[in-house]
Amino acid sequence: MDPRLQGLLVGIIFGVLLQRGRLCFNSAIRDVKLTKDNYLMKMALLAIMVETIGFQLAAQLGWIKLNPLPFVPLAQIIGGFLFGMGMVLAGGCASGITYRVGEGYITAFVAAVFFGITAAAVRGGPLQFVNKWFGKPITTTNNPTGVYAATDGKINLTIANLLNINPWIIAIIFAIILLVVILVWKTTERKTTGLTWLWGGILVGITGIVAYISQKSYALGITGGWVNLFRTTTGNLDISKGVPYNWIGMEVLGIIIGAFIAALATKEFKLRMPKNPQTFAQVALGGILMGFGAGVAYGCNIGHILSGLPHLAISSILFTIFAVAGNWLMVWYLFERK
Amino acid sequence: MAEVKPNYTLDERGEVCPIPDVDTRKKLKEMKSGEILEVLIDYALSKERIPAGVKEIGGEVLSIEEIGPSEWRILIKKL
Repeated sequence: MDPRLQGLLVGIIFGVLLQRGRLCFNSAIRDVKLTKDNYLMKMALLAIMVETIGFQLAAQLGWIKLNPLPFVPLAQIIGGFLFGMGMVLAGGCASGITYRVGEGYITAFVAAVFFGITAAAVRGGPLQFVNKWFGKPITTTNNPTGVYAATDGKINLTIANLLNINPWIIAIIFAIILLVVILVWKTTERKTTGLTWLWGGILVGITGIVAYISQKSYALGITGGWVNLFRTTTGNLDISKGVPYNWIGMEVLGIIIGAFIAALATKEFKLRMPKNPQTFAQVALGGILMGFGAGVAYGCNIGHILSGLPHLAISSILFTIFAVAGNWLMVWYLFERK
Repeated sequence: MAEVKPNYTLDERGEVCPIPDVDTRKKLKEMKSGEILEVLIDYALSKERIPAGVKEIGGEVLSIEEIGPSEWRILIKKL
């Protein structure tokens, strides 16, 4: 099957799950602090746990080579922090605004356009020069059990290849830690009309594994998809010469379609507009911060948190820490400050 | 249930997440015991989150009523 069609199908499934699970990483991170609500966080942690074992197994079986995102410390620190602040302003993370486009949110559409354009400008566009500020990736030549993808012998850092030990050991320890947190942390009560955290977590996790086996080079992502959609649509319509639509671009398109179908089927689709025009400026700024952050950091909440943490990639761990910090700072500034 | 007359109304339709939740909590904190707040929302997630959130700050959801396609009216009483 054409990889683009596979990307579209995976995207549609992911879009349905995001919409029915109401899974937004901005909400998941923010609610733990703002409303002491862990419902979405538990869904995300469970998905990460399922993927941690699933990615490892798929690599062991030789279906994929693990391909952690490049470790550029400053990029993940600054990019992660800006991304974290941006998603609060935008009212959703990269995947959150993408699936909400399918639900008819005009503000999500505005945020997504500014996110995609900024990320495209940073990755190979007029803002490409900013990447020089952050330096080159730090890599290793260690490849325990040979499961990692290498370029000229260089492999991006994970905890396992940094320590040069069998990645199964790290994966199992991490999965057990996540399992303990999931079991011990009391779930916030919620009368959900969508997917429960348990089903949402398991199904999103499985979708992530399927995505990896389908795309081969990586699991689910958002930023690269928006960049592909914008760049190909606006500049390279001649497919024989330019950048053609790819797996991840079609996956992002699929998310919007999947969310649209799910919202329509459950009578949750509606064109929604904020009353205050200032909101448009706020979400646009949020989109720009997210696009810049994800652009320089090599990934957004999906690339780094959902798909990167299961690799135990050093880059993704650092991005996650600073995205949470940026999110919580902005939550405090907007909603908690006296 | 007999029709309850709200003391205040918040129209949160179209607002970006988490503004409906935050505004509802803020308003509820200012209200006196026994007063009723009506919140209009158009996002399913808010319909699930607002009831969970108001409990924490001394509110009780009296009813959640569907008033249109993806539109709901939540009545909350300050305890």
